[in-house]
Amino acid sequence: MEKPDNDARKKAMKNLRAKRKETIAKSTAMMKQQKKQVQAILDFLEAGEATIPQIALNVHMPTDKTLWYMATLKKYGQIVEGPKDGAFFKYRLNAGPGAPKENAT
Amino acid sequence: MPPIQHFDTLVVGAGISGLQTALDLGDQGYKVAVLEKDASIGGKMIRLSKVFPTLDCASCITTPKMSSAAHHENITLFTYCRLSDLKQTPAGVSAKIRRMPRYVDSDKCIGCRKCEYVCPVYVPDEEQGGFSAKKAISIPFSNAIPQLPVLDPGFCMLCGRCEKACPTQAIDYLQEPEDFTIQARTAVLTTGFDMLPKKKNVQFGNGRIPNVIDSLQMERLLAPHGPYNRVLRPSDGMEPDSVAYVQCAGSRDKQMGVPYCSRVCCMYAIKQAMLLSGSLPLADITIYYMDIRAFGKGYEQFYQNAKAMGIEFVKAKVGRIDQGENGNVKVRYERQDGAGIDTASHDLVVLSMGMVPGWDPAGVCPVSTDTDKFITSVKPKISAVLTDMDGIFTAGAAAGPKDIVDSITESGTAAMEAANYMAGLPGEVQ
Repeated sequence: MEKPDNDARKKAMKNLRAKRKETIAKSTAMMKQQKKQVQAILDFLEAGEATIPQIALNVHMPTDKTLWYMATLKKYGQIVEGPKDGAFFKYRLNAGPGAPKENAT
Repeated sequence: MPPIQHFDTLVVGAGISGLQTALDLGDQGYKVAVLEKDASIGGKMIRLSKVFPTLDCASCITTPKMSSAAHHENITLFTYCRLSDLKQTPAGVSAKIRRMPRYVDSDKCIGCRKCEYVCPVYVPDEEQGGFSAKKAISIPFSNAIPQLPVLDPGFCMLCGRCEKACPTQAIDYLQEPEDFTIQARTAVLTTGFDMLPKKKNVQFGNGRIPNVIDSLQMERLLAPHGPYNRVLRPSDGMEPDSVAYVQCAGSRDKQMGVPYCSRVCCMYAIKQAMLLSGSLPLADITIYYMDIRAFGKGYEQFYQNAKAMGIEFVKAKVGRIDQGENGNVKVRYERQDGAGIDTASHDLVVLSMGMVPGWDPAGVCPVSTDTDKFITSVKPKISAVLTDMDGIFTAGAAAGPKDIVDSITESGTAAMEAANYMAGLPGEVQ
């Protein structure tokens, strides 16, 4: 598919933004909330490794939501799994090879 | 893309059955179009951990077939497409198809995932059972074919980060759906199955109990590239000490609309239980069952091996599942040995939900379906791949619940029937 020329593209993008106004607002609000929550997790992990219940307690988030973020951050290389503590695993920030440099969050 | 494209055979669905059918026909020199609704080929099988009764790695079997199909000179893949009409014509079949926009130029994209890394929006990743997130623009999974990202317009902020990060200017926010027609001499319907959703089962918590998951979610927990890279409880990340399987959670139940047996649940539950024994050696694993249906070659031995490994089989009908304390799950069941009603607590419960058709042909294709909504096999004992439409065949779970072995075997039959049919058409050089 050929991209339209610059002026036509700008106009088309403007129309697209207008058409998707509600979705964009909803996604932006969601992204801001996610950014805060992820930052809270990463800030807490600066102090050292912790289990999911410990992180959840300190960042005031439900444990299932915390685990959801931790699985995602692990996938994108921001955290790594540490040793086991009882029935739970500990997680820490990824400072080694593979740590992301471009991740926007 | 040309508005009308011509092939010998159109295969609808690129799961293991569709890929096997396409490869068998392609190897015979027939030109095959493979149509897939998802952004990647591979179907359910590429999402599985291992297969029964051999415990071979599922993706080790599927990935070479996916790759062979993608690189085959006689096979053309059409992914992320919707079939809106499939009908017979004097020359064979005609299919109207809509290619959905990925918002990525497939000719320019090199699959580097830079767009995915810079995207700031996390969305639930259904490929991982919803247990982790992906980005609003992402490649479906690590071994997806094609390695092309899909942008979800429902979550995109149009912030432009992916466009700036793309080294080949492949992002195209203005992409539109593309309609085209495929004309072929035959078609093979390999549309597979879906799993009955957990939310339909009121007695088992409507899908609202966090540590009650379905068997496809457990496949993701057991898979090497799963969301946690190990088996953890989704509610809090605890390694479970006690895991239970509830058989016939959706099947053999008229109230659920699935009165038939889904055939594969007993074996995949046993397979998962054996894999769990390996990954969680100290965990207690219980399977609540009505009957164990170990019908295939080596299946009974597989079942006996599971019992010998210490997996507990309880012949009982589970009546109710409730949220317990500390994330535990309470299972209330009636023993079939007459010992009465009992309640047990488990860390994690897996529901073996029933299999339902993956595609409803109503309004798209006049092929007949049975009372179970799967495609009708008109000669189930002689050639189960024949439908009531001349030149249109079916294979795999599209015609009813089936395991992988039977699906692959049936796909070979479908390819043979389609080749025979084409050989008999006027003008065909023998």
